[in-house]
Amino acid sequence: MSRDLRMDGVLRPPEITFTFAGQPISARQGETIAMALWVAGQKALRNSSKDGAPRGVLCNMGICYECLVRIEGAPVRACMVLATEGLNVEPGGKS
Amino acid sequence: MSGARVLEAQVGIVGAGPGGMAAALHLARAGITVVLLDEGFRAGGQIYRQLPEGYDAGHRISEPPSHRAGNHLLDAVARERIRIVHGATVWNARPGQIYYEQNNESWLLACEQIVLAPGAYDRCVPFPGWTLPGVITAGAAQVMVRGFAVAPGQRALVCGTGPLLLPTVTALASAGVKVVAALEAAPRSAMWAALRGVIGNGARMREALFYARSLLRRGIRLQWGASVFAADGDGRVQSALIGKLDQQGAPRPETARRIEVDVICAGFGLVPAIELGLLLSCAARYDAPRGGHCLVVDEQQRTSVDSVYAVGEIVGIGGAEVAMAEGRVAGAAIAARLTSVSFDPRLALHARSERRAADAMLRAFQLRPGLFSICKPDTVVCRCEDVTSSQAAAAGELYGRTTRGIKMGCRAGMGPCQARICGLNLHDIFCDGVEPDLPVAQVPVKPVRTATMIDVPRR
Repeated sequence: MSRDLRMDGVLRPPEITFTFAGQPISARQGETIAMALWVAGQKALRNSSKDGAPRGVLCNMGICYECLVRIEGAPVRACMVLATEGLNVEPGGKS
Repeated sequence: MSGARVLEAQVGIVGAGPGGMAAALHLARAGITVVLLDEGFRAGGQIYRQLPEGYDAGHRISEPPSHRAGNHLLDAVARERIRIVHGATVWNARPGQIYYEQNNESWLLACEQIVLAPGAYDRCVPFPGWTLPGVITAGAAQVMVRGFAVAPGQRALVCGTGPLLLPTVTALASAGVKVVAALEAAPRSAMWAALRGVIGNGARMREALFYARSLLRRGIRLQWGASVFAADGDGRVQSALIGKLDQQGAPRPETARRIEVDVICAGFGLVPAIELGLLLSCAARYDAPRGGHCLVVDEQQRTSVDSVYAVGEIVGIGGAEVAMAEGRVAGAAIAARLTSVSFDPRLALHARSERRAADAMLRAFQLRPGLFSICKPDTVVCRCEDVTSSQAAAAGELYGRTTRGIKMGCRAGMGPCQARICGLNLHDIFCDGVEPDLPVAQVPVKPVRTATMIDVPRR
């Protein structure tokens, strides 16, 4: 596995854990779902509805809706929702 | 039901970036009540993006000299105890009323005057493989570094055009990312044109010097007249095809070479976020160097709609200095309207001179038409609806070569992003020689829960 993408020497709040497609993902408080998944190496967040190709973060600021995931069935932008302890996140789909 | 989910203020401001904050500060100091609505978790907008609460990166993340002004502004806004609503997605507005969703709740901000300062987002240009996870915008990369102290990858390609490539490169480098290549699509002559434009603007010259030095120190060379041609990889980016562009900006295939990277940060300029202005029926015009459609304002930042003001990128891309200067103008103009103080015309003169410097710089970095030939027939142009270039072209033949015609024929631009990513490309690639259609803003301008739109609070 590659090195941690979180920059060294930066003071961060404590670790929390949520799940993506049932797998535990560790995050730091204050990170978005998209950021935590990116650091965990999970870049594909959904599959395109037409050709099934993987898609992930593009704009990282709530504009493009490429990073859609599902929480309790509802589509949300992974880049605009904070990761919280015990949250269950599923891969998304537009539509 | 809707209960008391109503906020009231004399002035409602959309966007807590440099423009919105500068306007808010001026108004608060004039004794006027203000509420700032922002979609982010902390104030600053994208340009002065702050780390989350509880983070401290010391001086590890590269900051250009211009960020000092941003830090002063953030401090001042905090000292004045200006109310900022975070995580607010504005989905509808009319004069005097701004509707937003926060934490899945439907809210109304009732206000006499509105200041629009929603900022901008990255311009994308489609190329083969750009839908692969690992291809992100230059802005996205900066959000990772400045907003979360996270390195976007280990080996990066930075490409695109315009002044924002430099902060992207320095942010990545300070996060420990190896910048394998930094490619500016504009020819080297653009550098001289841009520098000529900022002569006499001390702050912008200092900024240019800062970037020149920091690239030199890190041994990174910006290659002019070069671009990404394609991204490749199995389920994620593993390599990129890069090369030189010809006089028209078109790729020269004989110069193509492959580099191993795990992230591609592409930013082909910025696009003004004008949707709310359109929804409020504010007059807009197309201005290619300023990034696309922009709201029209007078010297006091008034739009064509009484009680609606606009500052910063929504009036045309210009950067933080322009946004701050225009924010102060809007603040002063509204203060003059609501109180007995008179408007200081020097503020407007200053804003105009900042705007002139920005315009001169932007003119140097306009996309050359040849660049769009990096987009191949099977390249996806509309990512929401998975429409390829050949499908969009066919739709244009059938329904008319306008963005509206293409939309009708193949749904390009009708997904959740509402053509924010593909709209200008549909025009620039398929509608040669036609003035671009004014985008249509529809309620909700950003997707929100149906319940938010049904259970609308009322005063």
